[in-house]
Amino acid sequence: MSEPKRLLIIDDDPDFVAGIKDILETANYEVDACYDPDEGLEALHKENYDLLLLDIMMGRGAEGIRIARAMGQDARLRDMPVLIVTGIQEQMAFLFPGQPVHPGFVDVDEVVEKPVEPSLLLDRVETLLERAGKNA
Amino acid sequence: MLETIALRREKEMLREHFAAIVSHELKSPLGAVQQNLYVLAHQLAPKLDDDEKDRLERMKVKIDELIKLIHTWLRVMRVDVSKIAESFVPIPVARIVEKAVESVSPLAVRKDVELRALVAEGVGDVMADEGTLVEALVNVMGNAVKYTHPSTAVVIDASRDGGEIVIEVTDLGVGIAPEDLPYVFDDFFRAKSGREAAGGSGLGLAISRRIVEAHGGSLGVRSELGKGSTFVMTLPTYDGQGDEGAAQATGLPGDVSKETST
Repeated sequence: MSEPKRLLIIDDDPDFVAGIKDILETANYEVDACYDPDEGLEALHKENYDLLLLDIMMGRGAEGIRIARAMGQDARLRDMPVLIVTGIQEQMAFLFPGQPVHPGFVDVDEVVEKPVEPSLLLDRVETLLERAGKNA
Repeated sequence: MLETIALRREKEMLREHFAAIVSHELKSPLGAVQQNLYVLAHQLAPKLDDDEKDRLERMKVKIDELIKLIHTWLRVMRVDVSKIAESFVPIPVARIVEKAVESVSPLAVRKDVELRALVAEGVGDVMADEGTLVEALVNVMGNAVKYTHPSTAVVIDASRDGGEIVIEVTDLGVGIAPEDLPYVFDDFFRAKSGREAAGGSGLGLAISRRIVEAHGGSLGVRSELGKGSTFVMTLPTYDGQGDEGAAQATGLPGDVSKETST
């Protein structure tokens, strides 16, 4: 088998992250986690990740959206698959009135809602990585 | 005297920020517990016997329900007149009733309650945010199903009375005592007479009234103890002046996101 894929989770709740991190590691991914949006962005710039799992509501507000937008403007990060893991379905309506839940922040992203079924999470991660692999 | 003012201000602050506090202090940790429970259930599945799996499954259901309840609370605090009005479009009243019936049906079937929807011809449209208005009617109808006697009917009667649309929801239940009537729409209210039948947060009707009022309507009730209750929802009619254009203009002023709807 090839080298394990590297994933980054940015979510401000370490307890929440613990669960999904474990699932992903059991599935042989190498997983880093950042609990602070700014640290997360820094890690994205410094390291080479294959996929980002991103929370939306962190700290002061929709910090995840800020990160997704910053990635869209960065030539190196633009094509990294982003899986949004969020519990904000209804808050979304307030942030983007009239929009579907999936606002298409970044071209290749996907949205799953908290809580996410482990098998669904693994499935989405795998699909996104495969798709990214084909496009590369 | 000064202390009283300070105390009052603190209470106001607390009330204003209640949604944020509940969200942060309750929802986030519960969300983490919920996610970890999902993960553990997944990981332990091969090692557990059926009884253990069943217990874990029941815990999942309980946590899911708790989180749903918190979402309901948050919604009550958040039902904001100006926000709802931003997404108003003309919607046939018949469709609102149909959607609500569809949603309450499973509950009615379980109690062998017939949902009888009578929508008068030409009842027309209402300017509404479909999701929230349906939710308001679902709450009222769900309440009727909850309190009506088993194997009876709940009648939903939508008609037009001059410039008003009137939707009446009538149950054949225990009714509401006259002394309780003024409080039916208060947050967390639950009638004494119905206590044994109760369940739920006691917020449904409070939310409904707020939603209906945000639509420029009203929600009231008349009831006779032992005979049942009729909840009366009135809404302003919409007669399509300026047809499509007018409807568009009232939705989401200056918001580019409108074009991306699917």
